[in-house]
Amino acid sequence: MGESVNRVQDEGSGQSLNRRRFLKYILLGFSAAATAAGVATPVVGYLWPPKQAVGAGGGRVAVAAAADLPVGKGAVYSVNNKPVLVVHTQDGYHALSATCTHLGCIVFWAEQKGVIACPCHAAFFTVNGNVISGPAPAPLPVYQVQVEGDQIYVQGGQG
Amino acid sequence: MQTQPRAKWWTRLGDWLDERFDVRIPLEAFLKKPVPKHAIKWYFCLGGITFALFVIQGVTGILLSLYYKPTATDAYDSILFIMNNVRFGWLIRSMHAWSAKLMIAMCIAHMLRVFITGSYKRPRELNWVAGTFLLLLTLAFGFTGYLLPWDQKALWGSTVGSQILGAIPLVGDALLGLLRGSPDVTGLTLTRFYGAHMLVLPVLAFIFLGAHFVIIRRQGISGPL
Repeated sequence: MGESVNRVQDEGSGQSLNRRRFLKYILLGFSAAATAAGVATPVVGYLWPPKQAVGAGGGRVAVAAAADLPVGKGAVYSVNNKPVLVVHTQDGYHALSATCTHLGCIVFWAEQKGVIACPCHAAFFTVNGNVISGPAPAPLPVYQVQVEGDQIYVQGGQG
Repeated sequence: MQTQPRAKWWTRLGDWLDERFDVRIPLEAFLKKPVPKHAIKWYFCLGGITFALFVIQGVTGILLSLYYKPTATDAYDSILFIMNNVRFGWLIRSMHAWSAKLMIAMCIAHMLRVFITGSYKRPRELNWVAGTFLLLLTLAFGFTGYLLPWDQKALWGSTVGSQILGAIPLVGDALLGLLRGSPDVTGLTLTRFYGAHMLVLPVLAFIFLGAHFVIIRRQGISGPL
């Protein structure tokens, strides 16, 4: 008992580590460390070399397995962070920018009609990207597409 | 050798510096000013909040400059890169955008407080003038920064905003040309605004902030109502 009284009296004298002092240091230390980590994590992460898009700078990107895209189907894939529509017709594979040239909605392959359609303002394009009807002011840019083995590759140079 | 307990390291560092530069007394006269009782209120913190936001703008702005490309062809793509590819890029850029808005709001709130408590009156008129320049600088930061993302909103916002200058009789067209660097808002306007946002305005802001702080320290804050 006597000892604990002494400890309380020691508070602030800078000599012994009593419970109050210990808790104070722990709490202050934890708060300081948590704050420092909360600032340092985003800053260091930001400065760390960022992940480059796969195949950036004209390289090609593997978008899907050929088996996933049978004749008559089309799907939108991400190529260098840009949406690209790949359509498989009887003529072969077609890849086009999926960003509508009107107001930037993502177009889709209208399988029944065999055209590319924009869901926002009914712009229609041929599978080569040319405008059929609707408000689109320009054709969809075309990407190079290749199939090797079981993989579909899209050339990312345009993105 | 049992003597007095050793002084804390920061005290000893201070002694070491003071011995060489003799700065303790002038510095303490400048830094150690107790806040008067009537000023310990939340609405006396608005100026400090504005400055804290300015510091955040400085830090996040420097970070953004590491990835931003101020050209007509690359600016928007570099913003996309920051938002999508750079780790925490979305956070740093959003902090910069939100702090910018808040800084203008806090700046105006601070001015309202100074106005309502009558703190602008003699002998503090010149600090009010310095503060007014700081508000104009803050707005100029906002206006030039608005163009930098180089999207549709930025382009047309800057087009309409700069046209106001062109409405001045006689010299309007010349001033508009000086502001834009070309008849329309183009890549030349972008680099112009970028230079102003990154170099010209920060230098001016530091000058006026320095004056603002030196004056408030020299005069002390205004008395109670």
